[in-house]
Amino acid sequence: MKIICEKCGFTMNLDKSRIPEKGAKGKCPKCRHIFTIKNPGTGVSDNANKSQKTLYWLQGGGCGGDTWAFFNSEPPETSELINDLNIRLLWHPSISNHSIAAQNKLNNDLLSGKQALDILCIEGSIIRGPGGTGMFDTLLGKPKKDIAASLANKASYVLAVGTCASFGGIGADGEIEATGMQFQKWTPGGFMGENFKTKSGLPIINLPGCPCHGGVISGAIAALVSGIPLKLNQYNIPLEWYGTLVHQGCTRNEYHEYRVEEKKIGEKGCLFFYLGCHGPLVYGPCNKMLWNRRSSKTRVGVPCFGCTRPDFPQQYPFFKTRNIEGIPIELPDGVNRAHYLAYKGIAAAAAPERLKKRKTGI
Amino acid sequence: MSRKYIFPINRVEGDLEIQVELKDGIITEAWSAGTMYRGFENIMKGRSPMDGLVITPRVCGICSTAHLKAAAKALDMAYNIVIPDTAKMIRNITMGVEMLQNDVRQAVLLFMCDFANPYYKDFPLFKEAVSRYEPLKGSSALQTLVESAAIIEITAVIGGQWPHSSFMVPGGVVSSPSINDINQCTYLLNRYRKWYEKQILGCRLERWAEVKNNLDLDKWLEESHLHADSDLGFFIRFSKKAGLDKIGKGHGNFICFGSFDMPENTDIKSLNKGPKYLPAGFSQHTRIQALQEESIFEDSTCSWFKTDDRPLHPFEGLTIPYATGGEGKKYSWAKAPRYQGLPAETGPLAQMIIAENPLFTNLVSSKGPDVFSRELARIVRPAIIIPVLDKWIKEIARNMENFCRTYQEKESGKGFGLIEAPRGALGHWIHFKNEKIENYQIITPSAWNGSPRDLNGVRGPWEQALVGTSIQDTDNPVEAGHIIRSFDPCLVCTVHAI
Repeated sequence: MKIICEKCGFTMNLDKSRIPEKGAKGKCPKCRHIFTIKNPGTGVSDNANKSQKTLYWLQGGGCGGDTWAFFNSEPPETSELINDLNIRLLWHPSISNHSIAAQNKLNNDLLSGKQALDILCIEGSIIRGPGGTGMFDTLLGKPKKDIAASLANKASYVLAVGTCASFGGIGADGEIEATGMQFQKWTPGGFMGENFKTKSGLPIINLPGCPCHGGVISGAIAALVSGIPLKLNQYNIPLEWYGTLVHQGCTRNEYHEYRVEEKKIGEKGCLFFYLGCHGPLVYGPCNKMLWNRRSSKTRVGVPCFGCTRPDFPQQYPFFKTRNIEGIPIELPDGVNRAHYLAYKGIAAAAAPERLKKRKTGI
Repeated sequence: MSRKYIFPINRVEGDLEIQVELKDGIITEAWSAGTMYRGFENIMKGRSPMDGLVITPRVCGICSTAHLKAAAKALDMAYNIVIPDTAKMIRNITMGVEMLQNDVRQAVLLFMCDFANPYYKDFPLFKEAVSRYEPLKGSSALQTLVESAAIIEITAVIGGQWPHSSFMVPGGVVSSPSINDINQCTYLLNRYRKWYEKQILGCRLERWAEVKNNLDLDKWLEESHLHADSDLGFFIRFSKKAGLDKIGKGHGNFICFGSFDMPENTDIKSLNKGPKYLPAGFSQHTRIQALQEESIFEDSTCSWFKTDDRPLHPFEGLTIPYATGGEGKKYSWAKAPRYQGLPAETGPLAQMIIAENPLFTNLVSSKGPDVFSRELARIVRPAIIIPVLDKWIKEIARNMENFCRTYQEKESGKGFGLIEAPRGALGHWIHFKNEKIENYQIITPSAWNGSPRDLNGVRGPWEQALVGTSIQDTDNPVEAGHIIRSFDPCLVCTVHAI
């Protein structure tokens, strides 16, 4: 069926079966206006779509970086997201100003089911150490991990925000026995178990990145609130933001094409062959959405450290590419080693002087 | 009769619980407990020395540039490199910008947010406080969210992203910004300055610089409704009415590691003609002495770590979690840093005292540190650093060639990086052998401020500041919150980790 943006008049085609019975909120790809898409079969009133959704943000074993990445996102800027999408923010540890008593009441109401919980955002890993007790991370003497589990059981959707919450991240190999909510690095299971489903029937949705890109966090929340389905890959990561390699959109791509390499920091060139860049290996939106609306690590000459990948942080040195005879051990997803070798050899020979002499703008 | 209470404190970075003993509504004892351990120092062991540049920014989501800078400086020292002026300026600018975003976020979103707490519902200024500071709705809160996200774009232009980039490396920085990049930084800083002057200060930076003592401050407040109506003006009016200048005294010891390494060629003059724009030092009240790195020790008598029989210098520091606490003496994941055996508070107020800023020297020498002077120093710190950052951004354009000096890598080495993070003194100590880290120790600002007791039973700064405070409602201990938040605590850093 044809959907017409009520603001700019842009017309798009949408499969009728993708619109839930209650209708859904959609964002115009042209002017980014958010409006209600009605299911033609029902004609549900706008009021039903405006029912308020609740959101609770829990911090576990993390640094707070995802919170600040979220607060840096725009558009929508955090308050626009919350206020315009009619979300009720029950609690965020960095901005809420409840009294201790009010907070205790809220937690009790959530656990007893008196207060509905639509979206639970978990930031930071689940700390299980020492010896599985979780006592390395406590709230009022009780392990934080137990609180995470009880809230996850009550929520319609759970977003694991950042690599720590998704896969364990910092501390996954350490004494704190950190794990992700539903994955331990590459392995399904993690804290809640492989078969765990939230009330909506979905698994925990992973939004990796160290930190997660703020636009991904607000985008995912907006999608859930608006009933827009998110297609997930085998690691329960939405393809919407993690369907392209970090390499895509890197302004150093031309260097990569012709294998003009940066051997020492600051020389300008492609960082993949010597300086440990994971851009061509790892999926993430960094060069597509950019950071803080401005740039990305690889654009300014910092290697991509693969922070969206389940094994981040890697157990071998950063700033160094593991090579066999000048060819990285890890090659881009899906390439044939022999073909890649031949292609890069020819490409290097074909490299134009302006690149070799770094006469470009990068 | 005294009774014990535990107050979890939010709107600090990370997890903090304060245990207090109350007698007749007055705090007679206080224990500060960092309730999470993340083990960064042990994660670093055995890794490549350069890995500190990637791992340690992840200690903290709101001061990751600070950790990056401390890590890079520790490596500069270990490799014996003097970095070029351009790199010094880039490091200073990005570090300064992290302070600019922090100071308004902390003041408006984390600290003044409490003025809109129902505790003050019968207070004459309550309605105004709610309209300004209600989370995600108040007028100042909304602006602060937007402007703090905008100013940090400078770090993304230069360093790729914020938080958690690794653009500082031994020898300098990886980036080679273009003239347009540098111009963009100027525009972003100008925009922030205009907003900060209009909304937060209510006057030009130059007018604020004329406020040199308590009397000037009163005069400034009465001079114009723009002053009184600004966030700073509101802070002063509210704080005086609520008595925030009478609580949260503390020990009166200050430590500052010094901030902004002076480039060789610059028109800026450092505040004490020394090698850093904001000088390093230690002071007891306003008696200042030079800082000696050898006098820094960490004590873990009351921390959940195995204890040596004496406090250890960070190069010898140990991080072995020992969570039994059977004897009841250990109560925090934070260690207790001490300078010449003494606890010390750190942060913007300490910076101002060590730099002999007339206003803050006057405030502290007349009545000691308190919640008001501590938070005031943070709110007005941007006024002091904006002009310096602006100058350096312009000076970079003089020489756009060399941002990183090449150096000889070493298999083994030792170094430390002492800097000022947004919250105060931050130090990284690295020791590596055969290209592998033997020991990495981090002492964060909130470890100083939120330290537990030491082997002599001496309280940490905010424990000390809590004692003697009256608490009206133990279900809503706003007074304790004010005191703790005036230190701008960052527990994710403190328990790193540590």
